[in-house]
Amino acid sequence: MSLELFDPTGEPTPTGFCSAPRLTSVEGLRIGLFSNGKVNADKLLRYTAEVFEQQANCNIVIDSGKRNASRIAEPQVLERIANDVDFLITAVGD
Amino acid sequence: MTTKTHTLTDELSAIDWCYEQGWTDGLPVVPPARERVERFLMAAGRPPEEIVARHPATGRECSVQSAAINAVMAGCQPQYFPTVLAALEGLNEDAYNFHGSTASTGGSAPVVIISGDIRDEIGMNASVNVFGPGNRANATIGRAMRLVIMNIFQMIPGISDRSTTGWPGKYGCCIAENILNSPWEPLHVSLDFPPEVSTATVFAASGFYNVENHYTSDPKLLLDTFADAMASLGALTDGQSLVVMSPEHAEIAASGGMTKQDVQAYLFEHASRDPEEMLSKGKWPAGHPGDGLAEGERGNGAFRRGRTPDDILLVVAGGEAGGHSAFLPSWSRGRNSIYQTKAIGVCLDC
Repeated sequence: MSLELFDPTGEPTPTGFCSAPRLTSVEGLRIGLFSNGKVNADKLLRYTAEVFEQQANCNIVIDSGKRNASRIAEPQVLERIANDVDFLITAVGD
Repeated sequence: MTTKTHTLTDELSAIDWCYEQGWTDGLPVVPPARERVERFLMAAGRPPEEIVARHPATGRECSVQSAAINAVMAGCQPQYFPTVLAALEGLNEDAYNFHGSTASTGGSAPVVIISGDIRDEIGMNASVNVFGPGNRANATIGRAMRLVIMNIFQMIPGISDRSTTGWPGKYGCCIAENILNSPWEPLHVSLDFPPEVSTATVFAASGFYNVENHYTSDPKLLLDTFADAMASLGALTDGQSLVVMSPEHAEIAASGGMTKQDVQAYLFEHASRDPEEMLSKGKWPAGHPGDGLAEGERGNGAFRRGRTPDDILLVVAGGEAGGHSAFLPSWSRGRNSIYQTKAIGVCLDC
């Protein structure tokens, strides 16, 4: 006897998502900070970014975030940021 | 519609296999065999590929068939499935915010409240032990919601579901309104649905508080007990509230001629604290501007549960005896989740 079961996990995640290419060096790159708005998230982001500023001559060019921590970031905001930075640091504080 | 399938040798090994795949909530599931799922699809009468919910962050989609698979696993019977679909449609509304509510450390559970004749048609419990175990429909409709959230939307405890403590309602929480012992109109009528329709309301709750008062027959003193619970320092936010009033408490509240709207208004007025206390006790961070409302909107300087009396969802349910009711606060500490109500088995906008 055999039993055929349906998979309960549904269809795969829709395409359109892909990883950004790996950076080979962070020297002198432009940093974006994107906070989710939780308390102290901004401090953690800036502290982390300062390490890159001090050790790799990076510059913080964007310091932004979501207005609502429990909602996804607006796609147009992320797209604008992606065009202006070389890498983004984001964090979740709670 | 093609869906991935797996071949197992027998039911018992299939139960263990589902555990191994991480497809359960910790309890055994009913193996989603083809013939079981097909009976659910017949009960729904909707195209299997129809999408009923979509995750706003990942884009993952829940089809009617995917929902049926998980409803089978939850132990539902086919006749419950239209109710499951209506609840999922409520979850899908932007105002419910199901990503935030299912990922948050706040540990919310989608509490499903059924109003209307379908309660009896599918054998739900609206009476004794309404939140507790023992009724298949109540238990499995609620459970189906959780399995969909975990399996289809991949909101997995410890990974994408970061609830600090969670609460037992996350296994499943579904009740029916006890309209037979209610002094007021049915919930779905209060929410402007046609009387002949049945509805599923989903409310993102972060916990359960038993409100007990056995000795007063004064409506206002009774409601003060509720207001005090709703304004407890650990629960007070301006998020919404679900108040499930037992028949005994509802009878007392209505004895002085109070309508459901009067009760909501009284609770809204009295479930409050001084904003200064919210700051001094660390409920708000240092530098918080206050209750977030404009000066003219604040009522006598009080910080209230919700923004209007309609933010208090009032339902009568539970056994006829016992001075016990329930207050469930919204997961949202503000306006990030608003309860949603959908008609079951009918399209009112078509």
